[in-house]
Amino acid sequence: MSAPFYKLGAFGDEASLIVAFLVGIGFGFALERAGFGSAKKLVSQFYLNDLAVFKVMFTAIVTAMLGVTYLSWTGFLDLGLVYLVPTYWVAQVVGGLVLGVGFVVGGYCPGTSLVSTATGKLDGLLFVVGFAAGTLGFALAFPLVKGLYTAGDLGTRTLPEALGIPHGILVFTVVVVAVLGFAGATWVEKKMADRAAAATE
Amino acid sequence: MASVTHDAVHERTAEKVRAPQPYSNPYLAGIGLGLVLLAAFVLVGRGLGASGAFNSTIAWVVSLLAPAYARSNEFLGGYLEEGTHPLKAWLVFEVVGVLVGALLSGLLARRVAVGVEKGPRVGVGSRLVLAFLGGVLMAVGAAFGRGCTSGQALTGGALLNLGSWIFMMCVFGGAYAVAWFLRRQWR
Amino acid sequence: MIRWFSGLTLNQKLGLLALALGAVAIFARVGPGQTITLNAKELLTSVQRQEDHVTASELAAWVIEGRADYRLVDIREPKAYAEYHIPTAENVPLATLLDGALGRTDKIVLYGDGGIHAAQAWTVLKARGYTHVYTLLEGLDAWKEEVLFPVMPRSPSPEEQARFERAAQVAKSFGGQPRASASPGAEPMPLPTQAAAPAVAAPTLPAGAAGGPKKKREGC
Repeated sequence: MSAPFYKLGAFGDEASLIVAFLVGIGFGFALERAGFGSAKKLVSQFYLNDLAVFKVMFTAIVTAMLGVTYLSWTGFLDLGLVYLVPTYWVAQVVGGLVLGVGFVVGGYCPGTSLVSTATGKLDGLLFVVGFAAGTLGFALAFPLVKGLYTAGDLGTRTLPEALGIPHGILVFTVVVVAVLGFAGATWVEKKMADRAAAATE
Repeated sequence: MASVTHDAVHERTAEKVRAPQPYSNPYLAGIGLGLVLLAAFVLVGRGLGASGAFNSTIAWVVSLLAPAYARSNEFLGGYLEEGTHPLKAWLVFEVVGVLVGALLSGLLARRVAVGVEKGPRVGVGSRLVLAFLGGVLMAVGAAFGRGCTSGQALTGGALLNLGSWIFMMCVFGGAYAVAWFLRRQWR
Repeated sequence: MIRWFSGLTLNQKLGLLALALGAVAIFARVGPGQTITLNAKELLTSVQRQEDHVTASELAAWVIEGRADYRLVDIREPKAYAEYHIPTAENVPLATLLDGALGRTDKIVLYGDGGIHAAQAWTVLKARGYTHVYTLLEGLDAWKEEVLFPVMPRSPSPEEQARFERAAQVAKSFGGQPRASASPGAEPMPLPTQAAAPAVAAPTLPAGAAGGPKKKREGC
C-alpha cells in the first residue's frame, strides 16, 4: 500500500497545500475545457438540448471510480484512508433538491461559478457573491436548522455496504448505466435538435 | 474588385482566428476531470470540492469582525481551529487553483471576455439578480448536502458513497422540476 | 473484427473501453486496506478477564518445559534482538507484524522491552482476527525482574525461601543469577550472552509453580 501518499507520510501539510493548488488548476482547466464556464451550456442540460453536464460528470465519475477500484485491487491504494463524507440522507435529500433549484436559477454550481468568474462573466461573479451571502445566512441561522442538518444520520456508508452488493458488481452496473445513458443522451440531443430545426423551417 | 474580395477573405480568416474555440469533446473532458480527481485520491486521500472553501472563507471573515461569535457558532466554529489560519485549508488552495486553471484554459481557447451569460428573453439586470439568488439557494443546498456537485456528486459518486448518490439524484430531480418554470431566463 | 473496431467513432471506442474495464472490475476486491475494525466490547472484556497476557514466570516455565505449541515473538528492532532475546523467541519487528510472518491461528506471545508496544501490537493483531494472541506482561522488564535476576526476599518464610530457591535455579538455567536486593539505583545486571539457553537440566517444577491466577485460555 503506497497511496494515499500524504496519509502514509510521504509529504507534509505544507506540501499538501501546494498539491491542492495544482489539483485545483487541473480541475479548473478541465471544467473550462468542457465549456462549463458558460451558464447557458450548463443549464442546457435541464432543457435537454445539450447534455454535456451529464456526459462530463458521469465520465469523470466512471473514470475515477474505475481508477480507484483497480488501484485498490492491486494493493496500491488503501481505500480505507480516502475520506468519505458521512451520510445524512434526509439533510442530503433536502440539500440536493435545493441545490438543483439553485442550479437552474443561478445557472452555475459553486465550482463552475469560479470558472465563469475567472473567464470574466459578471453573472458568475454575482453567483459567487450570492453563495457567500447564503453561506453566511446559513451559519447565522444554524441553531434553527441544526435538526434538519443532522437528520438521517447513517454514518459513513457506501453503496456496496448499504445494498449488500459487492463493490465490483456495482462498478460494472454504474459503467453500463452510464454508457447506456450516454447513448440515450446523444439520441435525446439529436431529437431536440431535429425538433428545433423543424420549428425554424 | 479583386482587392475587395481579397480583403473579405482576410476578414473572414482573421475572424476565425480570433473567435473562441469550440468546447472539447465532453467525454475527453470528463476523462481529464476524472483523472484529476483520481490524482487527488492517490496523492492526498481526499476528493475535490468547492463549497467547503466558501465555508472557510466566511468563517475567517466573521472571525475578523466578531471573533467571539465566530468561535461560538457551531457551523463556523468547525472551520476555525486553534493555531491554524482558516484560509490555510486544502480546499481554499484548491479553489485558487481552479480560478487559475480556468483562466489558463480560457485564455488558450480565447474564451475570456467580460460579459453576462443569459438567454435572449431576459434582461441583464434580471439575470444578475437571479444569479445572486441562485448562489444563495445553492449555498443552503450545499450546506445541508455536505458538499456540492464537485464534492458530493463527483467525489462521492466515484467512491460509491451512499449519501452522495442520493444527493446527486436529488440535484438532477430538483433542477428538472423547476427548469420549465424558469425557461424564460434561458431560452 | 479489427476493421469494425477501427470504423467506430472515438466516443464509441471509449464506451467499449469503459464497458470492458467495468466488466473486469466485477472481480475486484477492494478491502479496507490497512484499516482495522475492533470489537470494543470483546477486546475490553478480554483484557479485564486477563486473557490477554502471560506472566514472565509462566513463560519461563513454558520455555523450560520445552513447549512447542506457541510462538514467542520479540517485536523489537533486530539490533536489540541480537543483543539479547528470551530463548526460543523469534524476531518480528513491530512494523512488519502484518507482513505474513505470523499465522492467524498460531498461538502467539508478544514481548517488547516493557509492556506497551506489545500491548499495541496485541490490539492490532486481535483486530485483524488473530485468534490466540497474548502479551508477556511487562515484557523484558518483567523477565529480568522475575526470571533472570530474582530478588531474595528479606526474612523469608519457608515457602518463600523454597520458591526463591526454585527461582534461582531457573535464573541460572537462563544464564541469569539471583540478587540480594532490588535497589532502584543499582547497576543493571549484565544480560547473559545469547548462548545461555537453559542448558542446565531443567529443575522439576512442582505443579502450580507457574504462579499467578489461573487464566482461561481459548482453545488449547
